[in-house]
Amino acid sequence: MAEEKKERQTGQENGEIRIDYDNIDVEDIMRQIRERIAARPVKPVPEKVPFDSRDAAFFPPDYEEEAGPAGIKGRLKNLILRIMRPLSPLIKLLILPVHEEVRRTVINLDQTNRRLDYINARIEDDLNRLRAELDHVNQVTNERLDMALDDIVRIKEYSKLLHNLSHNLVVELTKLKIEEEHLRSASRILDKNFAMLGKRERALEKEVFK
Amino acid sequence: MKVAFVVQRYGLEINGGAELHCRWIAEHMKKHFEVEVLTTKAFDYITWKDHFTRDEEMVNGIKIRRFPVTRPRNPVRFGRIQNALLAGGHEEEDELRWMNEEGPLVPSLIQYIKRHADDYDYFIFFSYRYYHSFWGINLVPQKSILVPTAERDAIIHFKIFEKLFRKPRALIYNSVEERKMINALSRNEHITGEVVGVGTELPEKYSGENFQKKHSLESGYLIYIGRIDENKGCDELFRYFLRFKKETGSSLKLVLMGDTKIKIPSSPDIVYLGFVSEEDKFNGLHGSLMLAMPSYYESLSMVTLEAWAMGKPVLANAQCEVLKGQCQRSNAGLYYKDYEEFTEALSLLESSSDLREALGNNGKLYFQTNYTWDIIEKKYLSIIQKLEGDKDWKSTSSQRH
Repeated sequence: MAEEKKERQTGQENGEIRIDYDNIDVEDIMRQIRERIAARPVKPVPEKVPFDSRDAAFFPPDYEEEAGPAGIKGRLKNLILRIMRPLSPLIKLLILPVHEEVRRTVINLDQTNRRLDYINARIEDDLNRLRAELDHVNQVTNERLDMALDDIVRIKEYSKLLHNLSHNLVVELTKLKIEEEHLRSASRILDKNFAMLGKRERALEKEVFK
Repeated sequence: MKVAFVVQRYGLEINGGAELHCRWIAEHMKKHFEVEVLTTKAFDYITWKDHFTRDEEMVNGIKIRRFPVTRPRNPVRFGRIQNALLAGGHEEEDELRWMNEEGPLVPSLIQYIKRHADDYDYFIFFSYRYYHSFWGINLVPQKSILVPTAERDAIIHFKIFEKLFRKPRALIYNSVEERKMINALSRNEHITGEVVGVGTELPEKYSGENFQKKHSLESGYLIYIGRIDENKGCDELFRYFLRFKKETGSSLKLVLMGDTKIKIPSSPDIVYLGFVSEEDKFNGLHGSLMLAMPSYYESLSMVTLEAWAMGKPVLANAQCEVLKGQCQRSNAGLYYKDYEEFTEALSLLESSSDLREALGNNGKLYFQTNYTWDIIEKKYLSIIQKLEGDKDWKSTSSQRH
């Protein structure tokens, strides 16, 4: 049993993380993880060599300087070079136009790059100017929008007030109309009473003067 | 005793954040007190536009009073004002203007508190950063209890909040880290404060196997539950996970549940299920190897607690002090601060079922010791009892008013 427990406790040792499963300590596990990460060999980052258009690639190497490596390959190379040596002026003559063309191309490319740099700088300046203008326009627009929003809120509140006012007016007019109807009815009743009293008066007069 | 819970939104439809936290607490405290909820008519947390129409209603046996938002938030304008404030020096007036812009602008709720302050014994405010908490606590500090649900974001350094944290009778924190942060910011150690958090209830039945069959998940998976958003660290999780897959050749999958605000990378190893039912959520969690919690800002991660309640380990973002602290205190989760740590921790968790089991058991124990509803209710009750017992404060406060 004890052995089993020990096994469980050291079960991760091969993986370099030691864990006591019966008494887990997260901070300890994380510390081991960090140590493991720190112990990893740092991957070398290949240095970037800046490309130079005037590199040797554009200029044929001097065969004589390269001659001399040891071994069969080197000896063979030397032999071929020695055989070709009498022809070297001819070879140089043949590649001369190509060489001249490459040289001109490099010059043209260099000039083009310079122009591109200049244009880039111009574009960057213009962009910065545009950004500044845009920021300014944004700021002004936002301020105006804020003002407009405030106005809208105010107008909204004003409309609500007007709406309430008109609602109240309608209520008052309705009440007045009802009052008018009421007064008309009262007046009609009074007229009827007056007519009835007239008739009664006349009837009483008749009785008195009989 | 009558207690009002004051929160920015409330309803069965709202299924996360401080609002759900508030609803759960209110529903559990109704057996101890007469409980009412004061809230807005808003549903959308971006604009706070009125959504609910009724002024009063009952939700799960609790009376809800809803107040209209007089002006919805203009997110563009709000963002601009907030950026301007965070960019440089500003006055308190600017912060108050920011507060009005942030909303939810409910002056009628504040008026109601003013008129009916005597009808309630305590007001428990949720989320320090909103209008209702700020003005409500300023109006009735002697009856206020604040549940800040604060995260380490820039606006917490505003002057108005430094003062706000010194005003209520008590503060109920979600975590030790939140308490430390607020104490350091406002020097409010003299105010009654307790780390409480929130409980959760697991369904009686759940089956990870059913979930795996339903979604054809043959290999193991880690799961993320919640809003899929940059602020929640999800884009980083996607990058790390895909790189981990590429470098290690692991067969692990990442299952996502929740609404998304960002584009999810198209990969057969990332399974997006959208918004799912509670049943699916718990089934998914049960079937998973672990929960991934990549968020940078949390005051308390409810889903982390749910994972621990189910005995699942967590792989959390160490940039979030709360999550890291909880993992350390519970010994129930590993954490990472960069890709190297992510890949090491995930490999370790994936390869060792013993480790997962041990961490999961620790999580379960941590949950049962700190976050069952009995414990949460007792903590709330003890805070209120403590406030009730503080007669000196009462007499001095009555002299002041």
